[in-house]
Amino acid sequence: MKKEFPVFILGLAAAFIVPLIFLIVVPYLQLSDAKPENYSEEDDVVAAWAYPAVWTGANKEGEEVYASQGCAYCHTQMVRPTYAGADMWRKGWGGNEEEGLARETRAADYTNDRRAMLGYMRIGQDLANVGTRNRDRAWYHQKLYNARTQNVDSSMPSYKNLYRKQQIAQPSENAIKLKGRFAVEEGYEVVPTEKAEALVDYLLSRKMDAPIPGAGTDEEVAAK
Amino acid sequence: MSETMQEASVQDIQERAAIDKSARLPVLFFFTSAAGWLFLATLLGFASSVKLAAPELWDACPWLAYGQLFPAHMDSLIYGWGMQAGFGVMIWLMARLCRVEIKNGVTLVAAGFVWNLTILFGVVAVWSGYGNSMPWLDFPAYLWPAMFLSYAVIAGSLLMMFRRRREGEAYISQKYIFGAALWFPWIFAVANLILNHTGGSALMNAGVNAWFMNNLIYFWFVPVGLASAYYIIPKIVGRPIYSYQLAQIAFWALAVLAGWTGFNRFLGGPFPSWMPAISGTAIILMLLPIGAVAVNLLGTISGRGSLMHFSPSLRFTVFGGIMFNLYGLLVAFSSYFDISRLLQFSYATLGYDIMVVYGFFSMVVFGAIYFIVPRITGCEWPSAKLIRFHFWYSSYGIITIVAFMIFAGLAQGGAIDDWSGDFMDSVRRGKGYIVALAVAWALISVANLAFYYQLLMMACGKGRKSEGPTLIHKNPGEAASAEAAAGFAPEDTAKA
Repeated sequence: MKKEFPVFILGLAAAFIVPLIFLIVVPYLQLSDAKPENYSEEDDVVAAWAYPAVWTGANKEGEEVYASQGCAYCHTQMVRPTYAGADMWRKGWGGNEEEGLARETRAADYTNDRRAMLGYMRIGQDLANVGTRNRDRAWYHQKLYNARTQNVDSSMPSYKNLYRKQQIAQPSENAIKLKGRFAVEEGYEVVPTEKAEALVDYLLSRKMDAPIPGAGTDEEVAAK
Repeated sequence: MSETMQEASVQDIQERAAIDKSARLPVLFFFTSAAGWLFLATLLGFASSVKLAAPELWDACPWLAYGQLFPAHMDSLIYGWGMQAGFGVMIWLMARLCRVEIKNGVTLVAAGFVWNLTILFGVVAVWSGYGNSMPWLDFPAYLWPAMFLSYAVIAGSLLMMFRRRREGEAYISQKYIFGAALWFPWIFAVANLILNHTGGSALMNAGVNAWFMNNLIYFWFVPVGLASAYYIIPKIVGRPIYSYQLAQIAFWALAVLAGWTGFNRFLGGPFPSWMPAISGTAIILMLLPIGAVAVNLLGTISGRGSLMHFSPSLRFTVFGGIMFNLYGLLVAFSSYFDISRLLQFSYATLGYDIMVVYGFFSMVVFGAIYFIVPRITGCEWPSAKLIRFHFWYSSYGIITIVAFMIFAGLAQGGAIDDWSGDFMDSVRRGKGYIVALAVAWALISVANLAFYYQLLMMACGKGRKSEGPTLIHKNPGEAASAEAAAGFAPEDTAKA
């Protein structure tokens, strides 16, 4: 074994390094090169934005809130192609079906994120296209404050720490509508903090259904 | 003292006693602090499952949201308990197998202190809302160098022991420990460097995270668990390993396949499709080394299985071995699209992770602790009843978790797969099983309280002073070893 020792170490190192290079380093460098691509005229995309669109708002901070609250443990952001699951067929998950945009998620969809929140379990809905499904900020805030206000069976934790209860001086525009057992005392209202607004910005930016540059229109793809 | 009867010379016995004495401080330190973490981790497991079933309970307190409790639970289970208990087992096994005394006990304890403090800081950070939603890498970015350094000190001493060893040919357990000692810092550094210190592909960050999780399983938990099993089983059965060659082949097969796993957590994911495919293939091929290990260990035990009736170490180790094989089979099945479409993002994922970390690794490590601690403290476990209690509550608990999480996964994943149905069906169908998860964690917590109590008694030198070991189903001192209790004549035993 004394003589074999260097061979042993070499074996251990090779077992680690070979997959590291091929499975991690090379794909990492390749995927890191991706930049937003502009649409060409052939793509027949009405809006003038690139793919993926660069989002405005506080969604970078929102991503941090999303991560720190552990959202990714119960929500995925990954729509599987039909050979690997029925995700695309579930209404709204694959994107905007009415405009024929529903599709599985692709590598470039995450270009603007710092970390892709692909997820661990799907205790809640997939959020890859939640920004397409619902554009109403009030709906998000109400859900985050207490998801039972919208669905009694929901398992989602209440993120009351992201909201502030305050005395009403002049009724705030963004106060959450709370009825029945969720209502706060008379003369008080619940308003989102900056963190909550950032989180909603981030959630609204989850629209991974943009057409892919160079893929042509839906009809052309179907014809191929 | 010994659970096996073997013909050892007076010199051998003296040498072993000297090694055990030198290992006493660091090994007991790692075991006792790990057991404390384990108790906390199981309590957090209980609390997180309660919160999943009743999300409105105490919801004014943000620390108790599932998204913070669950990662705090997993991180304390993995780094606080799992890895730390593993350090203790690695140090003792390496010293015994290399036949060298431990010279730097105080340094090891110092490294252990750094490890404990870092983990404590990390768990509190995750718990209080400073985590980052990356499973098993949730800690704030600035903590990993401290963990890395303290691990480096521990691994460094293991490697030095190996260099100083007196025996020529290395035992298979030594190879596994050596491998685990080296592999972990590599995967840990690579994952942390990419995730925290480069601004590259967001998607690959998620991929690297999954790769790290599976690498931690196959490059660390599995080697350390197998090192322990390959030592404990021959020791107690009183026979050498059935086939050393087979063990060698399994070692290298595992090593070659381990690094390719990880992307199987995202079958059908947005990665280039060959990546999940190759990980899935590696997971399925992994059945070969797992099967080889099973054949080898079964061959070693064959005909002497009744020893499990008496020896706690053997009983825990064999239970862990069975869970390891089941884990291999289940994840291999789940690497098929037809099954992964249902189970990939379901409670089954959680069940599998708990299965390998608790069902396999922890149970094997319990076996090792029941073997090692009497040797380094010079007294015997106070109560066979409590050991039995620990075994049955833990095993019932873990079997409940695994079975219920798989059924929950099928119910929940099935409801999501039925794409025209209401999404809330999946939540409603999963809920009942979560109650079982909470009950199982409660059982395991109680079991581990008994374990922690006994371990602390032993550490304080309040164990039973007696000639014979503590055996299940035998009165103290009634039999000199498990072999004698089972009525076997001593065979020519494994060395060391």
